[in-house]
Amino acid sequence: MRGQPFVRLVSSGLLLMLALAAVLLGSGQATAQSTAETAGPLSPLHPVFALLDAEGRNVLESGAPVSTMQTCGVCHNTGFIASHSFHADLGLSSMTAPGQTASGRAWDTSNGLFGRWDPLTYRYLTPAGDERLDLSTAEWLQVLGARVAGGGPATTSRNGAPLTSLTPDATNPETALLAADGIVAAWDWKRSGVAEMDCFLCHLDQPDHAARTAALAAGDFGWANTATLAATGIVTASASGWVWNPQAFAPDGALLPAYVRVQDPTNANCAQCHGLVHTDAATPLTLAGCDLADPQTATTGQVISGQKISASGVNVAGKDALNRAWDIHAERQLACTDCHYSLNNPIHAQESDATRPSHLVYDPRRLDLGAYLERPDHNLARGQSAQYTVAPEFKGTMRRCESCHTAESHNSWLPYVDRHMAVLSCESCHVPHLYAPAIESVDWTVLNAAGRSVVSCRGAETPTSGVDTLIEGFTPVLLLRDNIDGGQQLAPYNLISAWYWIYDDANGATRPAPLADLQAAWFENGVYAPELMAIFDADGNGALDATELRLDSDVKTAAVATRLAAQGLGNPRIAGEIQPYSINHNVARGAWATRDCQTCHHDDAALSQPLHLAGFLPGGVVPTLVNDANVGSSGSVQQGEDGAVYFQPGLAEAGVYIFGRNRIAWVDWLGLALFFGVLAAVSLHAGLRAFMAWRHPRPKPELHPVYMYDAYERFWHWLQTIAIILLIFTGLVIHRPDVLGMFSFRYMVWLHNMLALILLVNAALSLFYHLTSGAIQQFIPRPYGFFDQAILQTKYYLYHIFKGGPHPLEKTRTQKLNPLQQVTYFGLLNVLLPLQIITGGLMWGVQQWPQVAQMLGGLPLLAPVHTLVAWLFATFIVAHVYLTTTGPTVLTDIKAMLTGWEDVEVHPHIEERAEHV
Amino acid sequence: MNLKRYLWILGLLGVILVIAVPVVFFWPRTAPTSADPWVNVPEHAAHTNHTDIVQGPFASGQEVTQRCLACHEHAAEGLMHTVHWTWESEPVAVPGHEDVVMGIGKTNLINNFCIAATGNERTCMTCHAGYGWGEEGAFNFENDLNVDCLACHADTALYAKGEYGNPAEGVDLVAAAQSVRNPGRDNCGKCHFDGGGGNNVKHGDLDESLLFPSENLDVHMGRYDFLCTDCHKTNDHLITGRMLSVSVDDEHQVACTDCHNADLHQDERINAHVATVACQTCHIPAIATKNPTKLTWDWSTAGQDLPEDHYTFLKIKGNFLYDKDVQPEYLWYDGGAAYRYLMGDPLAAAGPTLLNPPSGAIDEPKARIFPFKIHRAKQPYDTVNNYLLPPLTAGEGGLWQTFDWPSALELGAEANGLDFSGEFDFAETWMYWPTTHMVQPKENALQCESCHGKNGVMDWEALGYPGDPIEWGGRDAVQ
Repeated sequence: MRGQPFVRLVSSGLLLMLALAAVLLGSGQATAQSTAETAGPLSPLHPVFALLDAEGRNVLESGAPVSTMQTCGVCHNTGFIASHSFHADLGLSSMTAPGQTASGRAWDTSNGLFGRWDPLTYRYLTPAGDERLDLSTAEWLQVLGARVAGGGPATTSRNGAPLTSLTPDATNPETALLAADGIVAAWDWKRSGVAEMDCFLCHLDQPDHAARTAALAAGDFGWANTATLAATGIVTASASGWVWNPQAFAPDGALLPAYVRVQDPTNANCAQCHGLVHTDAATPLTLAGCDLADPQTATTGQVISGQKISASGVNVAGKDALNRAWDIHAERQLACTDCHYSLNNPIHAQESDATRPSHLVYDPRRLDLGAYLERPDHNLARGQSAQYTVAPEFKGTMRRCESCHTAESHNSWLPYVDRHMAVLSCESCHVPHLYAPAIESVDWTVLNAAGRSVVSCRGAETPTSGVDTLIEGFTPVLLLRDNIDGGQQLAPYNLISAWYWIYDDANGATRPAPLADLQAAWFENGVYAPELMAIFDADGNGALDATELRLDSDVKTAAVATRLAAQGLGNPRIAGEIQPYSINHNVARGAWATRDCQTCHHDDAALSQPLHLAGFLPGGVVPTLVNDANVGSSGSVQQGEDGAVYFQPGLAEAGVYIFGRNRIAWVDWLGLALFFGVLAAVSLHAGLRAFMAWRHPRPKPELHPVYMYDAYERFWHWLQTIAIILLIFTGLVIHRPDVLGMFSFRYMVWLHNMLALILLVNAALSLFYHLTSGAIQQFIPRPYGFFDQAILQTKYYLYHIFKGGPHPLEKTRTQKLNPLQQVTYFGLLNVLLPLQIITGGLMWGVQQWPQVAQMLGGLPLLAPVHTLVAWLFATFIVAHVYLTTTGPTVLTDIKAMLTGWEDVEVHPHIEERAEHV
Repeated sequence: MNLKRYLWILGLLGVILVIAVPVVFFWPRTAPTSADPWVNVPEHAAHTNHTDIVQGPFASGQEVTQRCLACHEHAAEGLMHTVHWTWESEPVAVPGHEDVVMGIGKTNLINNFCIAATGNERTCMTCHAGYGWGEEGAFNFENDLNVDCLACHADTALYAKGEYGNPAEGVDLVAAAQSVRNPGRDNCGKCHFDGGGGNNVKHGDLDESLLFPSENLDVHMGRYDFLCTDCHKTNDHLITGRMLSVSVDDEHQVACTDCHNADLHQDERINAHVATVACQTCHIPAIATKNPTKLTWDWSTAGQDLPEDHYTFLKIKGNFLYDKDVQPEYLWYDGGAAYRYLMGDPLAAAGPTLLNPPSGAIDEPKARIFPFKIHRAKQPYDTVNNYLLPPLTAGEGGLWQTFDWPSALELGAEANGLDFSGEFDFAETWMYWPTTHMVQPKENALQCESCHGKNGVMDWEALGYPGDPIEWGGRDAVQ
């Protein structure tokens, strides 16, 4: 063992150096440095084995293609495996007549790749009995082979019989092929062979995905799995086909140990079909934007790599500062299979929550390892993504973030942790931004010069090139996900809109316009039809650029429709749909996650930002969310003034109330009107008073000091005053962080809660005081003479006060409040304050007892009531403060509440009263 | 009564207190941030300009020193107690040897480069902080006038050392003396960057690129303009810092944790590594990122007439390999040496002779995985006596004049008090250089996958683990 750089240098050095190095390196001391030989994920246990063909003969003897079912089936129950794998099934087992699937499309026949039409790949798997053939089973396998693991529809017909048992028949979409010239020919599965579930694809360290895909595309299905071995040296391509290499086999016919490169699936294995995975830390990662060869990356912008974005070769805007891995879990050496494990893998298996008794946290009864190795369930644990609808029975079987992580670390900074966790999926904050581009829209209503759809990409300046284009990435839209368990949480999505032509065929069935017909309508002799050119080529330069090649007028739409009709498509028309794509990978750890409260609690919150769908509406058709996405109730499509189309998340409609972002306009307008109305009224009143006092100066009334408020009353009053004023202020910040953005939302929330607690305690103590001291009576209006006195007092405020008349009712220690005050305070202390405490308490309690708040209408009701009452409080303060100035002097009453001593006007009947007492 | 009128103010204060106290007391506090590392960085006072203070003329370095000592009376005394002067430690127990050794250091240790200083004073002492060396034993360690103040304090553009530690020919001593200031990176670098006979030859992590470093070369010097002495704190001329090449323990050592909290990472998982992995391991991913460093040195071809090239062969030195961006080799290291080859020690019974292997093992809690540059050489040894022979090279009649091995070895053995049988050959020797400078900012630190997983650089089994600890558990699980 020795230093690698050392070795490298030697190899490039002089001959003399070689001699020296040989001496130096001849002796060895173990230093901690890896060598290529010791690295490797290969299974230490897997024995050597023979490669068998479909008849069970050694391929070396028969020269036939390898059969994975036979070869691996010697030890593993391959029948079980192939029948327990949605990767093999791809929807075959759930096939129905067209139009009966959850997607709602009139032409879908299953929920998987085999039967669920996808506007990204466009070609339509034709069901039996259709008027025209688009994709036959054979061509489906040819076209989509790069994403088909084999088995399922690649070996089995729709009625369950082996494909090889079918008689070639050009009228049966399972045994036909649409040739380029439009002629439909019969397909002989016996000759082509079938593609068995390809164990090698996922379990070899160097499967040759490209060779396999090429074999499938050539219709050479039977040899596809053999082609997967192309990089191993076991088999080589020759002019006459694949030839087994005898050097790879031992005399007994088994593979030599060096050729047994079987392993657990790595990220790279999954990457072949799913998306961009980059494992080599030393090589900068590069990517080609929106390339459907990496479907997961193209549709979501997710890149599975532990490399730091700053160290990658992608031209990401501001990447110097992006000193974080593309995906924290890849960085921490997690493999795809750590979460997406075999469902009966005894290491990971867990009973579903639905059947697990609630007292049982962990069930130690495990499948025997040998039994597992014989029959490993190849249905893999999966999440609940919007885009993958196959095998819905396994949705939510995966361990999620919270299965491994606790939310504990949020406690140190995030208020209302449980509430946040209940409403937000972890990804909402921990996947704040995607740094690779993703497809935004696919427009099949027009065809580009290559005869394909017009694709637009979000997050990249130009979608096609990898290294040189500037990539901004994109912020996913947060939509309300309907969880399998019935709950709802916000989660990040990319939305891909698609527009395409549909038509009614001779049977009256609605189908997407076959690509062949589209191309025939658009092109004549390999160039755009002159008829269309005349309409589309606005600048007459003989080419169609992006602004011309779009259906933005009825004339254009009608012209294309006419030409499609001429291809025999009945009633051609445009349909549009939006497919949400869940984003669950590319997680960032704490420091990189969204931590700013105002990301959501703000008018301009990212949460409510509309997501751009397209620059215009092709054919004027508004796209709708596909039916089988789990984000049904989340928003609406809106067109901006510039014609661009946006998806506007509709969280309020979905019952999500977010402080600082949601509010009911009329509540605020009413509150403002009350507040300023009262302010205006008292200003007018004060002005009149001042004017009259100036016009008619009056002698000072005779005053005598009365000890009006004892110490506790004053303490209670001022504590309440300060608390309420601060509560109104902090409440305002929480209500309108967009206006009062200079204050920390987080601290204001905390302060609001703390003040509320102080106010509550103060109120409770004062209630106790007022009850025990009997002072409570002052606040209770007495029936006797109440209205007379109230009228007197009202007349005073409205008339006599201007004349300098005396207060109609005298204020004493035991009778401080006039009837108007009594009514006001009665309302304030018995209605508004309790209402505010209860609504506030319940809002605080959404964390602790969410069901109670929910019972009373939830935040969407409680919060506006709380806001309205706050406005009433603010309004009361204005009136209350003003009325304190109506004493003998302007400051008399305020001074009284401070010192306890009030200079009270000497009323003529004071002595009289005293006598009666 | 008058006072009572103002009681309400007290009441109001009470009200405010009732609100303020719980608010302040319960105010949500984030976890205290790690202690500020800047607290431990010395502030440098502006140095007094000595232009008007120091007047010449000076006939020799000693006269300059005399002038310095006129004001800085005790400066020389302090320095004379340090290894920059003595080139030797206090008596010390050397691992692998039974008796306490009277002192080890550059004077009497064999290294993997120019092998040994004694006998070669003419050139070696260019890097001694003293004047007036002669051939063996001619130096007066007690004379404080021999202290070379200028080596560390003069502007390096105005001062340089020449043969026997004396000022180089043509140095204007007055100008040099007037330029004195606190030592800069250039002063330390004069010797420490060029150790082993050229830029970055020895250390691999110390070279002239540190004079004008970018932040991606060294975060402290590049981003924050540190001086050597900011970390190598100095007290009475005793400079902290230890090197496994000449020391066998880690007293007076400099550590990252002198300034930084070990658990300063925001990530708990990374903090959990700190007990096992030295800071240097992740924060110095590569050695010699700018200038190449010497990785091997084969003395056996010295003297032959082969095409010369600075990076591959010199007649006086033999063959070398240089490389840059070298990945370190990772070993357990507790700060001490497992063994130190002393003059006269027998060669290893098998394999290369390890001059200074670090001590530490997986089961030693203090030890951590540490990055090393391992320098591999072939140097002469006495085949009869079975020990390494330091040749006389730069000295009078040495190899570099005669290119005659037997006579150079004879002279070298004599200078170092060794017996030479006359029979010699070349043996492989390894020397370990802990990598600790050119610390990288966090952006460039190693990541998980650098060590763990399929492409990791660690040889876990060689380190004593059953396998990648991400799967097999850490050293706790190994015990």
